[in-house]
Amino acid sequence: MKSRSLAQRVARTAAAAVFAAFGFGAALIAVSAPLASASSEVGWIRLAHLSPNAAPVDVYLYSFGNPNAHIVLDHVGYGTVSPYEQVAAGEYTVAMRATGAPSGSSPVLSTAVNIAPGHAYTVAGLGPAAGLRLVVIPDELTTPPGKALVRIIQASMHKVTVTAGSTRLAARLKFAHVTSYFTVEPGTWPIRATGGGKSVTASISLAAGTIHTLVVLDEPGKLGLDVLLDAAGSKVPPAGGPRTGFGGTAARPGDTLVPWAVAVLGGLVVTVTGTAIMTRRRRPALHAR
Amino acid sequence: MRADTAAGRADARHVSPLRVIRRPWAVAAAVAGVLVVTLGGAGLSWASGTGRSAMPVGRPPVTGTPRSHWAAVSAPTAPAQVVPLPTGMVIPAIGVRTKLIQLGLAASGTLQVPADVGVAGWYTGSPRPGGTGSAVIVGHIDSVNGPGVFFRLRELKPGDLVYVQRTDGKMAVFKVTLVQTFLKSRFPTAAVYGPVPNAQLRLITCGGTFDVATGSYLSNVVVFAVLQ
Repeated sequence: MKSRSLAQRVARTAAAAVFAAFGFGAALIAVSAPLASASSEVGWIRLAHLSPNAAPVDVYLYSFGNPNAHIVLDHVGYGTVSPYEQVAAGEYTVAMRATGAPSGSSPVLSTAVNIAPGHAYTVAGLGPAAGLRLVVIPDELTTPPGKALVRIIQASMHKVTVTAGSTRLAARLKFAHVTSYFTVEPGTWPIRATGGGKSVTASISLAAGTIHTLVVLDEPGKLGLDVLLDAAGSKVPPAGGPRTGFGGTAARPGDTLVPWAVAVLGGLVVTVTGTAIMTRRRRPALHAR
Repeated sequence: MRADTAAGRADARHVSPLRVIRRPWAVAAAVAGVLVVTLGGAGLSWASGTGRSAMPVGRPPVTGTPRSHWAAVSAPTAPAQVVPLPTGMVIPAIGVRTKLIQLGLAASGTLQVPADVGVAGWYTGSPRPGGTGSAVIVGHIDSVNGPGVFFRLRELKPGDLVYVQRTDGKMAVFKVTLVQTFLKSRFPTAAVYGPVPNAQLRLITCGGTFDVATGSYLSNVVVFAVLQ
Protein backbone atom coordinates (compact mmCIF):
# COMPACT_ATOMS: atom_id res chain seq x y z
CA MET A 1 0.00 0.00 0.00
CA LYS A 2 2.63 2.49 1.03
CA SER A 3 4.74 1.62 -1.98
CA ARG A 4 2.25 3.30 -4.27
CA SER A 5 4.32 5.36 -6.65
CA LEU A 6 4.07 9.09 -6.97
CA ALA A 7 3.64 8.71 -10.70
CA GLN A 8 0.51 6.60 -10.23
CA ARG A 9 -0.97 9.09 -7.81
CA VAL A 10 -0.29 11.93 -10.17
CA ALA A 11 -1.76 9.99 -13.07
CA ARG A 12 -4.96 9.16 -11.19
CA THR A 13 -5.34 12.67 -9.85
CA ALA A 14 -4.84 14.06 -13.34
CA ALA A 15 -7.40 11.64 -14.77
CA ALA A 16 -9.95 12.66 -12.18
CA ALA A 17 -9.26 16.33 -12.83
CA VAL A 18 -9.61 15.82 -16.58
CA PHE A 19 -12.99 14.18 -16.12
CA ALA A 20 -14.14 16.95 -13.80
CA ALA A 21 -13.02 19.54 -16.34
CA PHE A 22 -14.77 17.59 -19.08
CA GLY A 23 -18.05 17.73 -17.18
CA PHE A 24 -18.02 21.51 -16.99
CA GLY A 25 -16.31 22.04 -20.33
CA ALA A 26 -18.89 20.03 -22.25
CA ALA A 27 -21.67 22.12 -20.79
CA LEU A 28 -19.84 25.35 -21.66
CA ILE A 29 -19.20 24.25 -25.23
CA ALA A 30 -22.87 23.37 -25.67
CA VAL A 31 -23.89 26.86 -24.52
CA SER A 32 -21.43 28.77 -26.66
CA ALA A 33 -21.57 26.70 -29.86
CA PRO A 34 -20.67 29.08 -32.69
CA LEU A 35 -22.91 29.63 -35.68
CA ALA A 36 -22.17 27.44 -38.62
CA SER A 37 -20.81 29.55 -41.43
CA ALA A 38 -21.34 27.78 -44.72
CA SER A 39 -20.56 30.32 -47.40
CA SER A 40 -21.56 29.46 -50.92
CA GLU A 41 -18.61 29.62 -53.26
CA VAL A 42 -20.24 30.62 -56.52
CA GLY A 43 -19.40 32.89 -59.42
CA TRP A 44 -21.08 33.91 -62.66
CA ILE A 45 -20.30 33.62 -66.35
CA ARG A 46 -22.03 34.74 -69.51
CA LEU A 47 -21.12 34.02 -73.09
CA ALA A 48 -21.26 36.33 -76.09
CA HIS A 49 -20.70 36.40 -79.83
CA LEU A 50 -19.43 39.86 -80.79
CA SER A 51 -17.66 39.29 -84.09
CA PRO A 52 -19.67 41.01 -86.88
CA ASN A 53 -18.57 38.92 -89.82
CA ALA A 54 -18.20 35.56 -88.09
CA ALA A 55 -20.83 32.88 -88.62
CA PRO A 56 -23.13 31.77 -85.79
CA VAL A 57 -21.54 29.23 -83.44
CA ASP A 58 -22.42 26.70 -80.76
CA VAL A 59 -20.87 27.70 -77.43
CA TYR A 60 -19.94 25.12 -74.81
CA LEU A 61 -19.04 25.67 -71.16
CA TYR A 62 -17.09 22.86 -69.51
CA SER A 63 -16.17 22.47 -65.88
CA PHE A 64 -12.45 21.65 -65.82
CA GLY A 65 -11.84 17.91 -66.08
CA ASN A 66 -15.45 17.08 -66.96
CA PRO A 67 -15.93 16.09 -70.62
CA ASN A 68 -19.69 16.72 -70.41
CA ALA A 69 -20.61 20.31 -71.13
CA HIS A 70 -22.06 22.31 -68.23
CA ILE A 71 -24.14 24.34 -70.65
CA VAL A 72 -24.44 24.47 -74.43
CA LEU A 73 -25.77 27.47 -76.32
CA ASP A 74 -26.84 26.53 -79.83
CA HIS A 75 -26.66 28.77 -82.86
CA VAL A 76 -25.32 31.88 -81.15
CA GLY A 77 -25.24 34.71 -83.67
CA TYR A 78 -23.46 38.05 -83.70
CA GLY A 79 -24.70 40.41 -81.01
CA THR A 80 -25.97 37.66 -78.71
CA VAL A 81 -25.10 37.89 -75.01
CA SER A 82 -26.39 35.09 -72.78
CA PRO A 83 -27.80 35.68 -69.29
CA TYR A 84 -25.37 35.03 -66.47
CA GLU A 85 -25.03 31.42 -65.43
CA GLN A 86 -24.37 30.91 -61.71
CA VAL A 87 -21.69 28.25 -61.28
CA ALA A 88 -19.45 26.83 -58.57
CA ALA A 89 -16.19 28.77 -58.46
CA GLY A 90 -13.29 27.06 -60.23
CA GLU A 91 -11.68 26.36 -63.56
CA TYR A 92 -13.81 26.26 -66.68
CA THR A 93 -13.26 25.99 -70.41
CA VAL A 94 -15.31 27.84 -73.01
CA ALA A 95 -15.29 26.33 -76.48
CA MET A 96 -16.87 27.50 -79.75
CA ARG A 97 -17.78 25.12 -82.54
CA ALA A 98 -19.38 25.75 -85.91
CA THR A 99 -23.16 25.55 -85.65
CA GLY A 100 -24.28 21.96 -85.75
CA ALA A 101 -20.76 20.54 -85.41
CA PRO A 102 -20.66 17.37 -83.26
CA SER A 103 -19.96 18.03 -79.61
CA GLY A 104 -17.00 15.67 -79.82
CA SER A 105 -15.35 17.57 -82.68
CA SER A 106 -12.39 19.85 -82.22
CA PRO A 107 -13.55 23.35 -81.30
CA VAL A 108 -12.78 26.30 -83.53
CA LEU A 109 -11.78 28.28 -80.47
CA SER A 110 -11.42 27.58 -76.79
CA THR A 111 -10.16 29.36 -73.70
CA ALA A 112 -9.73 28.62 -70.02
CA VAL A 113 -11.45 30.83 -67.47
CA ASN A 114 -10.89 30.81 -63.72
CA ILE A 115 -14.12 31.82 -61.99
CA ALA A 116 -13.26 33.25 -58.59
CA PRO A 117 -15.94 33.09 -55.87
CA GLY A 118 -18.20 36.14 -55.93
CA HIS A 119 -16.90 37.32 -59.31
CA ALA A 120 -18.54 37.56 -62.72
CA TYR A 121 -17.07 37.21 -66.21
CA THR A 122 -18.12 37.79 -69.79
CA VAL A 123 -16.44 35.46 -72.27
CA ALA A 124 -16.87 36.90 -75.73
CA GLY A 125 -15.84 35.93 -79.22
CA LEU A 126 -14.27 39.20 -80.37
CA GLY A 127 -12.41 40.47 -83.40
CA PRO A 128 -12.86 39.92 -87.14
CA ALA A 129 -13.72 36.47 -88.42
CA ALA A 130 -10.15 36.04 -89.65
CA GLY A 131 -8.69 36.88 -86.23
CA LEU A 132 -11.53 35.73 -84.02
CA ARG A 133 -10.50 35.13 -80.42
CA LEU A 134 -12.21 34.35 -77.12
CA VAL A 135 -11.70 37.10 -74.61
CA VAL A 136 -12.32 36.74 -70.86
CA ILE A 137 -13.64 40.08 -69.58
CA PRO A 138 -13.92 40.49 -65.78
CA ASP A 139 -17.18 42.18 -64.79
CA GLU A 140 -17.47 44.60 -61.88
CA LEU A 141 -19.91 43.81 -59.06
CA THR A 142 -19.62 46.80 -56.74
CA THR A 143 -20.52 50.45 -57.22
CA PRO A 144 -19.43 53.53 -55.30
CA PRO A 145 -22.25 54.51 -52.88
CA GLY A 146 -25.15 56.15 -54.71
CA LYS A 147 -23.54 55.82 -58.17
CA ALA A 148 -23.97 53.72 -61.28
CA LEU A 149 -21.26 52.15 -63.42
CA VAL A 150 -21.22 51.85 -67.19
CA ARG A 151 -18.67 50.56 -69.70
CA ILE A 152 -18.52 49.99 -73.43
CA ILE A 153 -17.72 46.91 -75.48
CA GLN A 154 -16.98 48.14 -78.97
CA ALA A 155 -18.12 45.37 -81.31
CA SER A 156 -18.51 47.46 -84.47
CA MET A 157 -15.89 47.40 -87.23
CA HIS A 158 -15.91 51.20 -87.24
CA LYS A 159 -14.13 53.59 -84.92
CA VAL A 160 -16.87 54.74 -82.58
CA THR A 161 -17.34 57.73 -80.31
CA VAL A 162 -19.79 57.35 -77.44
CA THR A 163 -21.35 60.20 -75.47
CA ALA A 164 -23.68 60.32 -72.48
CA GLY A 165 -25.48 63.66 -72.59
CA SER A 166 -22.72 66.20 -73.09
CA THR A 167 -20.08 63.91 -71.60
CA ARG A 168 -17.86 62.05 -74.01
CA LEU A 169 -17.30 58.56 -72.64
CA ALA A 170 -14.97 57.33 -75.37
CA ALA A 171 -13.57 58.85 -78.58
CA ARG A 172 -12.79 56.87 -81.74
CA LEU A 173 -12.89 53.59 -79.87
CA LYS A 174 -11.39 50.77 -81.93
CA PHE A 175 -13.14 47.55 -82.83
CA ALA A 176 -12.97 44.85 -80.11
CA HIS A 177 -11.96 47.34 -77.44
CA VAL A 178 -13.46 47.04 -73.94
CA THR A 179 -13.37 50.20 -71.82
CA SER A 180 -13.01 50.30 -68.07
CA TYR A 181 -16.06 51.34 -66.07
CA PHE A 182 -17.21 54.95 -65.88
CA THR A 183 -18.81 56.14 -62.64
CA VAL A 184 -21.98 58.07 -63.46
CA GLU A 185 -24.68 59.89 -61.52
CA PRO A 186 -27.93 57.93 -61.43
CA GLY A 187 -30.62 59.12 -63.80
CA THR A 188 -31.81 58.84 -67.37
CA TRP A 189 -29.00 59.38 -69.84
CA PRO A 190 -29.20 60.03 -73.60
CA ILE A 191 -26.53 57.79 -75.12
CA ARG A 192 -25.21 58.38 -78.62
CA ALA A 193 -22.72 56.30 -80.53
CA THR A 194 -21.32 57.50 -83.86
CA GLY A 195 -18.85 55.92 -86.26
CA GLY A 196 -18.35 55.29 -89.97
CA GLY A 197 -20.90 57.99 -90.78
CA LYS A 198 -23.59 56.11 -88.88
CA SER A 199 -25.02 56.60 -85.42
CA VAL A 200 -27.41 55.23 -82.83
CA THR A 201 -29.09 56.88 -79.86
CA ALA A 202 -30.81 55.44 -76.82
CA SER A 203 -32.19 56.79 -73.59
CA ILE A 204 -31.08 54.59 -70.73
CA SER A 205 -32.00 54.63 -67.08
CA LEU A 206 -29.03 54.15 -64.79
CA ALA A 207 -30.16 53.58 -61.20
CA ALA A 208 -27.78 53.92 -58.27
CA GLY A 209 -26.26 50.58 -57.37
CA THR A 210 -26.51 49.23 -60.93
CA ILE A 211 -23.78 48.23 -63.40
CA HIS A 212 -24.29 48.34 -67.15
CA THR A 213 -22.45 47.35 -70.30
CA LEU A 214 -23.19 49.11 -73.60
CA VAL A 215 -22.38 46.97 -76.63
CA VAL A 216 -21.95 48.87 -79.89
CA LEU A 217 -22.91 46.65 -82.82
CA ASP A 218 -22.85 46.82 -86.60
CA GLU A 219 -26.32 46.47 -88.06
CA PRO A 220 -27.27 46.66 -91.72
CA GLY A 221 -26.83 50.30 -92.69
CA LYS A 222 -26.59 51.55 -89.11
CA LEU A 223 -25.08 51.06 -85.70
CA GLY A 224 -26.81 49.08 -82.95
CA LEU A 225 -26.64 49.56 -79.22
CA ASP A 226 -27.31 46.72 -76.78
CA VAL A 227 -27.81 47.91 -73.20
CA LEU A 228 -26.97 45.15 -70.71
CA LEU A 229 -27.82 45.29 -67.04
CA ASP A 230 -24.80 43.47 -65.63
CA ALA A 231 -25.74 43.64 -61.97
CA ALA A 232 -28.09 45.46 -59.62
CA GLY A 233 -28.28 46.07 -55.89
CA SER A 234 -30.15 48.42 -53.61
CA LYS A 235 -30.12 52.09 -54.65
CA VAL A 236 -29.31 53.11 -51.08
CA PRO A 237 -28.15 50.34 -48.75
CA PRO A 238 -30.09 50.79 -45.47
CA ALA A 239 -27.99 51.47 -42.40
CA GLY A 240 -27.36 48.34 -40.34
CA GLY A 241 -29.71 45.40 -39.95
CA PRO A 242 -33.48 46.01 -39.77
CA ARG A 243 -35.23 45.98 -36.38
CA THR A 244 -37.74 43.24 -36.93
CA GLY A 245 -38.62 41.91 -33.50
CA PHE A 246 -40.12 42.94 -30.20
CA GLY A 247 -38.98 39.99 -28.11
CA GLY A 248 -42.36 38.33 -27.58
CA THR A 249 -40.87 34.94 -28.40
CA ALA A 250 -37.32 35.73 -27.32
CA ALA A 251 -35.24 32.99 -25.81
CA ARG A 252 -35.09 33.12 -22.03
CA PRO A 253 -32.06 31.80 -20.14
CA GLY A 254 -33.55 28.34 -19.64
CA ASP A 255 -35.01 28.05 -23.10
CA THR A 256 -32.87 25.30 -24.45
CA LEU A 257 -32.54 21.92 -22.81
CA VAL A 258 -29.27 20.95 -24.47
CA PRO A 259 -26.78 22.54 -22.04
CA TRP A 260 -28.64 21.11 -19.08
CA ALA A 261 -28.77 17.65 -20.61
CA VAL A 262 -25.05 17.85 -21.38
CA ALA A 263 -24.40 18.96 -17.79
CA VAL A 264 -26.33 15.96 -16.46
CA LEU A 265 -24.49 13.52 -18.69
CA GLY A 266 -21.12 15.12 -18.01
CA GLY A 267 -21.81 15.11 -14.30
CA LEU A 268 -22.75 11.43 -14.39
CA VAL A 269 -19.50 10.59 -16.14
CA VAL A 270 -17.54 12.58 -13.57
CA THR A 271 -19.36 10.96 -10.66
CA VAL A 272 -18.98 7.43 -11.91
CA THR A 273 -15.33 7.93 -12.82
CA GLY A 274 -14.50 9.72 -9.60
CA THR A 275 -16.21 7.01 -7.56
CA ALA A 276 -14.45 4.29 -9.48
CA ILE A 277 -11.07 5.89 -8.84
CA MET A 278 -11.88 6.41 -5.14
CA THR A 279 -12.85 2.81 -4.56
CA ARG A 280 -10.59 1.08 -7.00
CA ARG A 281 -8.85 -1.82 -5.41
CA ARG A 282 -5.26 -2.07 -6.46
CA ARG A 283 -3.82 -5.47 -7.00
CA PRO A 284 -0.71 -5.91 -4.87
CA ALA A 285 1.14 -7.49 -7.76
CA LEU A 286 1.02 -4.22 -9.57
CA HIS A 287 2.54 -2.42 -6.64
CA ALA A 288 5.14 -4.90 -5.58
CA ARG A 289 7.88 -2.53 -6.38
CA MET B 1 -27.09 8.46 -2.50
CA ARG B 2 -24.18 7.73 -4.77
CA ALA B 3 -21.73 8.76 -2.07
CA ASP B 4 -23.41 6.28 0.32
CA THR B 5 -23.12 3.53 -2.24
CA ALA B 6 -19.52 4.37 -2.86
CA ALA B 7 -18.78 4.29 0.87
CA GLY B 8 -20.62 0.96 1.16
CA ARG B 9 -18.60 -0.53 -1.65
CA ALA B 10 -15.43 0.79 -0.09
CA ASP B 11 -16.30 -0.86 3.27
CA ALA B 12 -17.18 -4.11 1.59
CA ARG B 13 -13.70 -4.17 0.08
CA HIS B 14 -12.10 -3.40 3.41
CA VAL B 15 -10.56 -0.20 2.24
CA SER B 16 -9.66 2.21 4.97
CA PRO B 17 -11.47 5.57 4.90
CA LEU B 18 -8.00 7.10 4.87
CA ARG B 19 -7.58 5.67 1.38
CA VAL B 20 -10.35 7.87 0.20
CA ILE B 21 -8.73 10.95 1.65
CA ARG B 22 -5.50 10.04 -0.07
CA ARG B 23 -7.19 10.82 -3.35
CA PRO B 24 -8.55 14.28 -2.75
CA TRP B 25 -8.96 15.03 -6.44
CA ALA B 26 -11.04 11.92 -6.96
CA VAL B 27 -13.25 12.98 -4.09
CA ALA B 28 -13.50 16.47 -5.49
CA ALA B 29 -14.38 15.08 -8.90
CA ALA B 30 -17.09 12.84 -7.50
CA VAL B 31 -18.58 15.65 -5.43
CA ALA B 32 -18.41 18.04 -8.36
CA GLY B 33 -20.08 15.43 -10.53
CA VAL B 34 -22.95 15.00 -8.11
CA LEU B 35 -23.29 18.76 -7.96
CA VAL B 36 -23.38 19.09 -11.74
CA VAL B 37 -25.94 16.29 -12.06
CA THR B 38 -28.15 17.92 -9.45
CA LEU B 39 -27.90 21.41 -10.93
CA GLY B 40 -28.27 20.10 -14.46
CA GLY B 41 -31.34 18.10 -13.53
CA ALA B 42 -32.85 21.13 -11.85
CA GLY B 43 -32.09 23.24 -14.91
CA LEU B 44 -33.56 20.59 -17.19
CA SER B 45 -36.86 20.48 -15.35
CA TRP B 46 -36.96 24.28 -15.09
CA ALA B 47 -36.14 24.76 -18.77
CA SER B 48 -38.67 22.21 -19.99
CA GLY B 49 -41.33 24.04 -18.01
CA THR B 50 -40.55 27.47 -19.47
CA GLY B 51 -39.57 26.60 -23.03
CA ARG B 52 -40.31 28.72 -26.06
CA SER B 53 -43.81 28.24 -27.29
CA ALA B 54 -43.56 26.75 -30.75
CA MET B 55 -46.75 28.35 -32.00
CA PRO B 56 -47.19 28.41 -35.75
CA VAL B 57 -47.69 31.65 -37.61
CA GLY B 58 -51.29 32.73 -37.28
CA ARG B 59 -52.06 31.85 -40.89
CA PRO B 60 -53.10 28.60 -42.47
CA PRO B 61 -50.04 26.68 -43.64
CA VAL B 62 -49.68 26.21 -47.35
CA THR B 63 -49.92 22.69 -48.63
CA GLY B 64 -48.65 21.62 -52.00
CA THR B 65 -47.64 23.97 -54.76
CA PRO B 66 -49.41 27.25 -55.35
CA ARG B 67 -52.16 27.82 -57.90
CA SER B 68 -51.23 26.22 -61.15
CA HIS B 69 -52.18 29.11 -63.43
CA TRP B 70 -49.35 31.17 -61.96
CA ALA B 71 -46.65 30.57 -64.51
CA ALA B 72 -43.16 30.47 -63.09
CA VAL B 73 -40.69 33.13 -64.12
CA SER B 74 -37.89 31.08 -65.60
CA ALA B 75 -35.21 33.65 -66.33
CA PRO B 76 -34.31 37.15 -65.25
CA THR B 77 -36.39 39.65 -67.11
CA ALA B 78 -34.52 41.59 -69.75
CA PRO B 79 -33.44 45.00 -68.45
CA ALA B 80 -35.44 46.84 -71.08
CA GLN B 81 -38.67 45.40 -69.70
CA VAL B 82 -40.14 46.66 -66.47
CA VAL B 83 -40.35 43.91 -63.86
CA PRO B 84 -43.83 43.77 -62.25
CA LEU B 85 -44.18 44.82 -58.62
CA PRO B 86 -44.39 42.11 -55.94
CA THR B 87 -47.74 41.71 -54.22
CA GLY B 88 -47.43 38.63 -52.03
CA MET B 89 -45.23 35.78 -50.95
CA VAL B 90 -45.69 32.09 -50.12
CA ILE B 91 -43.09 29.92 -48.35
CA PRO B 92 -44.61 26.43 -48.03
CA ALA B 93 -41.74 25.00 -45.95
CA ILE B 94 -42.49 27.31 -43.01
CA GLY B 95 -46.18 27.98 -43.53
CA VAL B 96 -45.83 31.60 -44.63
CA ARG B 97 -48.46 33.23 -46.83
CA THR B 98 -48.35 37.00 -46.72
CA LYS B 99 -49.08 40.04 -48.80
CA LEU B 100 -46.08 42.26 -49.47
CA ILE B 101 -46.24 45.92 -48.54
CA GLN B 102 -43.75 48.51 -49.78
CA LEU B 103 -41.02 49.75 -47.45
CA GLY B 104 -38.65 52.68 -47.81
CA LEU B 105 -36.02 54.14 -45.55
CA ALA B 106 -36.67 55.68 -42.15
CA ALA B 107 -35.30 59.16 -41.39
CA SER B 108 -32.37 57.53 -39.63
CA GLY B 109 -31.36 55.74 -42.83
CA THR B 110 -32.41 52.37 -41.51
CA LEU B 111 -34.84 50.14 -43.36
CA GLN B 112 -38.52 50.73 -42.56
CA VAL B 113 -40.22 47.68 -41.09
CA PRO B 114 -43.90 46.70 -41.41
CA ALA B 115 -46.18 48.19 -38.75
CA ASP B 116 -48.11 44.89 -38.79
CA VAL B 117 -45.94 42.03 -37.51
CA GLY B 118 -48.12 39.64 -39.53
CA VAL B 119 -47.06 40.91 -42.97
CA ALA B 120 -43.75 41.20 -44.79
CA GLY B 121 -42.56 44.05 -46.97
CA TRP B 122 -40.36 44.60 -50.01
CA TYR B 123 -37.72 47.33 -49.86
CA THR B 124 -38.54 49.66 -52.78
CA GLY B 125 -34.88 50.70 -53.03
CA SER B 126 -33.94 47.13 -53.95
CA PRO B 127 -34.48 45.46 -57.33
CA ARG B 128 -37.93 43.97 -57.93
CA PRO B 129 -38.14 40.23 -57.23
CA GLY B 130 -37.40 38.30 -60.42
CA GLY B 131 -35.43 41.11 -62.05
CA THR B 132 -31.64 41.23 -62.11
CA GLY B 133 -30.25 41.96 -58.65
CA SER B 134 -30.95 41.11 -55.03
CA ALA B 135 -34.53 41.92 -53.98
CA VAL B 136 -34.91 42.52 -50.24
CA ILE B 137 -37.96 41.41 -48.21
CA VAL B 138 -38.19 41.91 -44.44
CA GLY B 139 -40.65 40.74 -41.79
CA HIS B 140 -40.90 40.53 -38.03
CA ILE B 141 -39.90 37.48 -36.02
CA ASP B 142 -42.33 38.47 -33.26
CA SER B 143 -44.42 41.13 -31.58
CA VAL B 144 -44.22 41.91 -27.86
CA ASN B 145 -46.36 38.88 -27.10
CA GLY B 146 -46.26 36.39 -29.96
CA PRO B 147 -44.80 35.18 -33.26
CA GLY B 148 -44.56 37.35 -36.36
CA VAL B 149 -44.70 36.48 -40.05
CA PHE B 150 -41.01 35.43 -40.15
CA PHE B 151 -41.01 33.59 -36.80
CA ARG B 152 -39.87 30.40 -38.50
CA LEU B 153 -37.57 31.98 -41.10
CA ARG B 154 -34.44 30.48 -39.53
CA GLU B 155 -35.92 26.99 -40.09
CA LEU B 156 -35.55 27.38 -43.86
CA LYS B 157 -32.95 25.13 -45.47
CA PRO B 158 -31.08 25.24 -48.77
CA GLY B 159 -33.39 23.91 -51.47
CA ASP B 160 -36.61 25.25 -49.92
CA LEU B 161 -38.73 27.27 -52.33
CA VAL B 162 -40.00 30.84 -51.98
CA TYR B 163 -42.81 32.05 -54.27
CA VAL B 164 -43.21 35.77 -54.88
CA GLN B 165 -46.52 36.82 -56.46
CA ARG B 166 -46.46 39.81 -58.78
CA THR B 167 -48.93 42.24 -60.30
CA ASP B 168 -48.80 40.40 -63.64
CA GLY B 169 -50.20 37.30 -61.94
CA LYS B 170 -46.97 35.39 -62.44
CA MET B 171 -44.81 33.96 -59.69
CA ALA B 172 -41.09 34.37 -59.30
CA VAL B 173 -39.83 31.13 -57.78
CA PHE B 174 -36.66 31.28 -55.72
CA LYS B 175 -34.60 28.47 -54.24
CA VAL B 176 -32.94 28.99 -50.86
CA THR B 177 -29.13 28.69 -51.03
CA LEU B 178 -28.03 29.85 -47.58
CA VAL B 179 -29.56 30.70 -44.20
CA GLN B 180 -27.29 32.54 -41.80
CA THR B 181 -27.45 34.59 -38.60
CA PHE B 182 -25.33 37.73 -38.33
CA LEU B 183 -24.71 40.02 -35.38
CA LYS B 184 -26.31 43.39 -36.15
CA SER B 185 -22.93 44.94 -35.33
CA ARG B 186 -21.47 42.91 -38.20
CA PHE B 187 -24.38 43.05 -40.63
CA PRO B 188 -23.11 42.04 -44.11
CA THR B 189 -24.38 45.11 -45.98
CA ALA B 190 -22.52 44.33 -49.22
CA ALA B 191 -23.69 40.70 -49.37
CA VAL B 192 -27.31 41.64 -48.65
CA TYR B 193 -27.76 44.93 -50.53
CA GLY B 194 -24.85 44.96 -53.01
CA PRO B 195 -25.17 44.33 -56.75
CA VAL B 196 -25.42 40.76 -58.06
CA PRO B 197 -25.56 39.72 -61.71
CA ASN B 198 -28.56 37.39 -61.52
CA ALA B 199 -32.04 37.47 -59.96
CA GLN B 200 -31.75 36.81 -56.24
CA LEU B 201 -33.77 37.31 -53.07
CA ARG B 202 -32.87 38.21 -49.49
CA LEU B 203 -35.32 37.55 -46.65
CA ILE B 204 -34.45 39.27 -43.39
CA THR B 205 -35.77 39.07 -39.84
CA CYS B 206 -34.35 39.29 -36.34
CA GLY B 207 -32.78 36.53 -34.32
CA GLY B 208 -30.21 35.59 -31.76
CA THR B 209 -30.29 37.00 -28.26
CA PHE B 210 -32.97 39.52 -27.27
CA ASP B 211 -31.45 42.44 -25.39
CA VAL B 212 -34.08 43.41 -22.84
CA ALA B 213 -32.25 46.67 -22.06
CA THR B 214 -32.57 48.02 -25.62
CA GLY B 215 -35.68 46.06 -26.56
CA SER B 216 -33.91 44.72 -29.61
CA TYR B 217 -32.53 41.47 -30.94
CA LEU B 218 -28.76 41.43 -31.30
CA SER B 219 -28.70 39.52 -34.59
CA ASN B 220 -30.43 39.24 -37.96
CA VAL B 221 -31.37 36.04 -39.73
CA VAL B 222 -30.76 36.38 -43.49
CA VAL B 223 -32.00 33.92 -46.12
CA PHE B 224 -30.23 34.00 -49.49
CA ALA B 225 -32.17 32.63 -52.46
CA VAL B 226 -31.69 32.49 -56.25
CA LEU B 227 -34.35 32.59 -58.97
CA GLN B 228 -34.98 29.10 -60.30
